[in-house]
Amino acid sequence: MVVKGPHELGGFAVSSRGPLIAPVVEKPATAEELARRLHEAAESRSAVIPVGGGRAGGMGGPPLRCDVELHTTNLDRVLEHSQADMVVSVEAGITLEALQAELGKAGQFLPLDPFNSPGHTIGGLLATGWAGPLRQRFGSARDFLIGIRVALPDGHLASAGGRVVKNVSGYDLMKLHFGAMGSLGVIVAASFKVFPRPLHDITVEKTNDSIEDAWDAAGRALDLPLAPSALELFSDGRVLARFFGSPDAVNRMVAELGWKAAGSSLWAEHSRRGPESWARISVPRNALRGIVSGLPEGAQWWASPGAGIAHWSFGDRLEDVRTARAAAESAQGSLVLMAAPAGVAGELGAWGTPPPTLEVMRRIKRAFDPDGILNPGRFVV
Amino acid sequence: MALEAAVVEELRRIVGRESVIDSANDLRIFERDASIEGAIPDAVVLAASTEEVARVIKVAAKHRIPVVPRGAGTGLSGGAVTIRGGIALQVTRMRRILEIDTVAQTAVVEPGVVNQELSLVAASHGLFYAPDPSSQKACTIGGNAAENSGGPHCLYYGVTTNHVLGMEVVLADGSVHWVSGDAPDRIGLDLCGVLVGSEGTLCAITKIKVRLLRIPPSVATLLAAFPTIETASHAVSAIIARGIVPAALEMMDHMTVGAVEAHYHAGYPTDAGAVLLVEVDGIAESTRELMGAIREVLEENEGYALREAQTPAERDLLWAGRKGAIGALGRIKPNYYLHDGVVPRSRLPQVLSAVGEIGEHYKLPVANVFHAGDGNLHPNILFDLRDRDVLQQVEGAGEEMLRAVVELGGALSGEHGIGLEKSAFMPWVYSPDDLDAMQRVKRVLDVDGILNPGKIFPDPTREQVHLAGRTGLAIEAKWW
Ligand SMILES: Cc1cc2nc3c(=O)[nH]c(=O)nc-3n(C[C@H](O)[C@H](O)[C@H](O)COP(=O)(O)OP(=O)(O)OC[C@H]3O[C@@H](n4cnc5c(N)ncnc54)[C@H](O)[C@@H]3O)c2cc1C
Ligand SMILES: Cc1cc2nc3c(=O)[nH]c(=O)nc-3n(C[C@H](O)[C@H](O)[C@H](O)COP(=O)(O)OP(=O)(O)OC[C@H]3O[C@@H](n4cnc5c(N)ncnc54)[C@H](O)[C@@H]3O)c2cc1C
Repeated sequence: MVVKGPHELGGFAVSSRGPLIAPVVEKPATAEELARRLHEAAESRSAVIPVGGGRAGGMGGPPLRCDVELHTTNLDRVLEHSQADMVVSVEAGITLEALQAELGKAGQFLPLDPFNSPGHTIGGLLATGWAGPLRQRFGSARDFLIGIRVALPDGHLASAGGRVVKNVSGYDLMKLHFGAMGSLGVIVAASFKVFPRPLHDITVEKTNDSIEDAWDAAGRALDLPLAPSALELFSDGRVLARFFGSPDAVNRMVAELGWKAAGSSLWAEHSRRGPESWARISVPRNALRGIVSGLPEGAQWWASPGAGIAHWSFGDRLEDVRTARAAAESAQGSLVLMAAPAGVAGELGAWGTPPPTLEVMRRIKRAFDPDGILNPGRFVV
Repeated sequence: MALEAAVVEELRRIVGRESVIDSANDLRIFERDASIEGAIPDAVVLAASTEEVARVIKVAAKHRIPVVPRGAGTGLSGGAVTIRGGIALQVTRMRRILEIDTVAQTAVVEPGVVNQELSLVAASHGLFYAPDPSSQKACTIGGNAAENSGGPHCLYYGVTTNHVLGMEVVLADGSVHWVSGDAPDRIGLDLCGVLVGSEGTLCAITKIKVRLLRIPPSVATLLAAFPTIETASHAVSAIIARGIVPAALEMMDHMTVGAVEAHYHAGYPTDAGAVLLVEVDGIAESTRELMGAIREVLEENEGYALREAQTPAERDLLWAGRKGAIGALGRIKPNYYLHDGVVPRSRLPQVLSAVGEIGEHYKLPVANVFHAGDGNLHPNILFDLRDRDVLQQVEGAGEEMLRAVVELGGALSGEHGIGLEKSAFMPWVYSPDDLDAMQRVKRVLDVDGILNPGKIFPDPTREQVHLAGRTGLAIEAKWW
């Protein structure tokens, strides 16, 4: 047990009700120890905030209470990388970069390129469900997470799934914890199906005079018979497209598009984006253009039109956020705050209108965290 | 045990007189799915709408009667078997394709829509539905979602759960909900993700919104022969190790090839120890380049008699052989029993030799036809059900094969589900805490346990005869 000195987390040392400093910081070295600490906290009804890399720190509602910070940073091992099977198992506190470095040795990678990188932990990424431009081609981690191990408030460690790429043995609890913001348990380990590095990886770029031209250009690229693996459209009219595939195929697509070659280092740069106040708009793909066009004049945003997602650096324009959220929700989508200064999340609400199934979700929450000690206030359930 | 007359009457008021089956003779038809064990339902209710499904479940909830949702009954793990009696809730009358959105590339279907029907209709828009179980001519999208089914093309495209965007479901209290749906991210817990693959134990699925994909402009399909299963297995790993994930990568062993060739005359090499069927798709440049690289790998790994389909008709014939393989095995013996354990791909040679030895030990013919790229086995144990004594042997052999799978770090099922058949084996892979976490979900969503009871989880009330005396074999889930 470590008694906390100065607040170590950047960004949110102040909640809407003033500074919120955890009296206790735990950095367990094993999953078993973490489960024990979690259980102890639960027994004394202490509120626990699991902490990974601190990169998605601003997501969710401001915590109502925090008695214990449970850091996963010492759970940072690669448990098993089976190169031939293209499967990897890791502890939750490993950073994405460390994992990619391990996979890279075998010419493999995890197609995850979240914003506000580097420094995300795998546990944090799974808990938040963050994804980046490569979602266009590979989906999110939801699609390649094949096993999970979670510490529960009752002190048990529960696993689901396994280390094989296809598995229907029992309920898919990977899905239950993915995107659950650590509201049901603390993820201590995960297994993934990984991917071979593409034979060819080319990025091209187009600048456009108007944003309308940019959307049209993006549409043309997405309609190619070999669609880009990532395509990002920026509020300044720039479009970036990344093609993965066999060389001849990629080269033909690039030739057909006729855009300017760009370095692939652009992507690492892009993934570092993490404004102080930003939101994710997630809507059916064909509604995205309309919603983004409705953002206020001069808005700074970037979008993945193939996925139906846009990120918006909204500054202090809270009224505009409300309008945009209403538009997204009426298109059956959502607007979620990815980070916001103290008070803003409280005022706007981090998540927007809760889903009609909220009551069902709450029943599940109670089954795992009956005393509501995990991340109180951060999530919708 | 027959339902009380008053309950039957209640059900008839909901779905109509003709749509409740309760005569002993007619009920026999619903005794089984495509697996071995059966049980006769007390009544079969043919629901035609979400509202009917919800009202039937409400009646069942009120009287605490088990309800087992049922699609086409092609399940291979006893999922649709009414092992505790009660109502088989057949949804195959709900078979409309409600919407195909060609811009968003999605479809909304009722649960009784047959898998292949959807792809046929989507094809007229240049689209297809990716998960393609070999039973796709018969199985329903509802059943696919309930089982999280796979198929040959799931190696590249992913399984059902990767293609279901949202569902309308009826929970055990008869309430109707949409879970997930249109946008890529949802707010709150991913109920849809948990309900897919829940085998009818958490909900009845009444509508499914799925993703459709554009039909790739070019497809290349290749058949290659190998001297042994082992060499073919190495070739599978070698292809993947080259950084190529084909759309499909299927293996058939010598016995299967013989049966398939006798039936389909597709030109399968009957002298081979094993054959691989490899498919890549995409634009012409990719398929050409990838197939070129795959040919090299296959030849380096003792592949011979490589034959690439030159026409769509040839391709269809090659696939007809693969997808009809289980049927063709009927030439050898009238009945089959198969498990679908999954191993890490690199363990294929080991597990297949174990499977072979087990077959020999039990003196039962075993034909392997399976999704090799995923490491997903399908050893078909062939037998004749008229030989009464053989059944126990068959089950014993199947169980030992699964045990070999688990010992190699594998999973009990890749796509057929746990159902009735493998519920007793779950403790081989999952600890009591693991199982408890899963059962918490069951307990909160189905408080009285009326939805498909007796499935997935070990059932202490049921005497599992062939397991007697084997308790020492439990394997701890020490895979982290
Ligand atoms: C003392 C204290 C005060 C705070 N005050 C505020 C405040 O005033 N306003 C405010 O908005 N936020 C506040 N926070 C929240 C804080 O900024 C982070 O959101 C929180 O610590 C999550 O950790 P992270 O930043 O490392 O997020 P990440 O590691 O990026 O993780 C993001 C989310 O995933 C969860 N998570 C991470 N790893 C796991 C895992 N292995 N298993 C399950 N879940 C996991 C986190 O709890 C979080 O919800 C406070 C936190 C603390 C500890
Ligand atoms: C020859 C053959 C080949 C096969 N090949 C494959 C293959 O390649 N890949 C594969 O994955 N499977 C395969 N299968 C297995 C089977 O076809 C699949 O599991 C299929 O998805 C079952 O669909 P069904 O409509 O027949 O469902 P059923 O057998 O009727 O039911 C299966 C399970 O789903 C539940 N269920 C059905 N409908 C609903 C609903 N609407 N709501 C809630 N629960 C429901 C049932 O309760 C039961 O637990 C094969 C089967 C055969 C006989």
